[in-house]
Amino acid sequence: MNKIMFFAHLRDRVGEESLTKDVSGKTISELKQMLEENYGLKLDSVMAAVNEEFASDDEVIQAGDTIAFIPPVSGG
Amino acid sequence: MSERYSRQALFPPIGKVGQEKIRSKHVLIVGAGALGSGNAELMARSGAAKLTIIDRDYVEESNLQRQQLFAESDALDKMPKAAAAEKRLKQINSEVEIRSIIGDATPEKLEELAEGVDLILDSTDNFETRMTINDISQKFNIPWIYGACVGSFGMSMTIIPGKTPCMNCLLKKIPIQGMTCDTGGIIAPAVQMVVAHQAAEALKILAEDWEAVRTAMVSFDLWRNQYTSMKVSKAKDEGCLSCGTERTYPYLQPENMMKSTVLCGRDTVQIRPPKEQEIEFAEIARQLKALGYQVKGNPYLLSIEMEEQRLVLFKDGRALIHGTKDLAQAKSIYQRIMG
Repeated sequence: MNKIMFFAHLRDRVGEESLTKDVSGKTISELKQMLEENYGLKLDSVMAAVNEEFASDDEVIQAGDTIAFIPPVSGG
Repeated sequence: MSERYSRQALFPPIGKVGQEKIRSKHVLIVGAGALGSGNAELMARSGAAKLTIIDRDYVEESNLQRQQLFAESDALDKMPKAAAAEKRLKQINSEVEIRSIIGDATPEKLEELAEGVDLILDSTDNFETRMTINDISQKFNIPWIYGACVGSFGMSMTIIPGKTPCMNCLLKKIPIQGMTCDTGGIIAPAVQMVVAHQAAEALKILAEDWEAVRTAMVSFDLWRNQYTSMKVSKAKDEGCLSCGTERTYPYLQPENMMKSTVLCGRDTVQIRPPKEQEIEFAEIARQLKALGYQVKGNPYLLSIEMEEQRLVLFKDGRALIHGTKDLAQAKSIYQRIMG
């Protein structure tokens, strides 16, 4: 299983801080696409971390990985 | 050394040697809003030798909830934030040289201001300027510290040329601005938390304790009690156009820069003429009053009331048009006034 965590406004859109799902074998890009379809999120310029380390779109998710989606915010 | 910085010098990782280093450093702070206020105050109190602060905006009542350098009188007088910040910072620490610039942080302006700077503290509200800061940082080998917040959420990352990945490695392009504009407000503690992260990193860099510099992007949500840290070293991209082997500094090229910008979450468009100008306020004010417009002003700006919009004109020809998000409409209003 995998834990998928959401930050900032993404959390509000999903309605939960995290989802538990088996997404192993998928790339980050495929997971983004799946979440965009199921939750109406826009993840195009959102950063992804796997086990608290930056992950590129083509990184493949392993069983047990925790994935976090962190939107870069611009206010200041 | 005077008592003034004694408690900071007593902190072992800084010590007297570190404090003397801090006392010799020049920090460029881009933006004098919420983050800029907080960062500038801490840098002034810490005893940086020189602060250069650039900001294009002026103080409004709605800023006072979180922009700690400003008072009610600044909002009443519509003081430019850079000028109001300079005044307050000089009261806080007269030993620090403060240079304030009322204007837009364009690539040309930032290149000019970067000379002799030891650190750039990002306190802007948009990614266009951040990407420019990022290219300046790489080109002139100056560290910079990203900071941003919205709602109760905030984040920060330290970028050291040649050591860490850069902002362009992580984001690849300018993110969609709308992501933060419509998310509803900002609470002051989120600002303070970002400032705390930025200023702590700044002290490490100014004191030259490079080993202590954080190599992860931190983000937190103070209302939802989330904290996370993301290691970024893997993001380093040798093909990056800002920091890679064949760099072109894309965000320093004028053709990549907009001349009109919708300001984040403010129902305001900024119009910037292609070349900086020297506007003669008295004459314009006289003409506009004759046409029946209500015109107010101070030495730094003219505020012109229209039916639905308000145009605020600065000395350099730049204008903020409040009451619209429509670039074309804003341009047309600008041209109606400025010809």
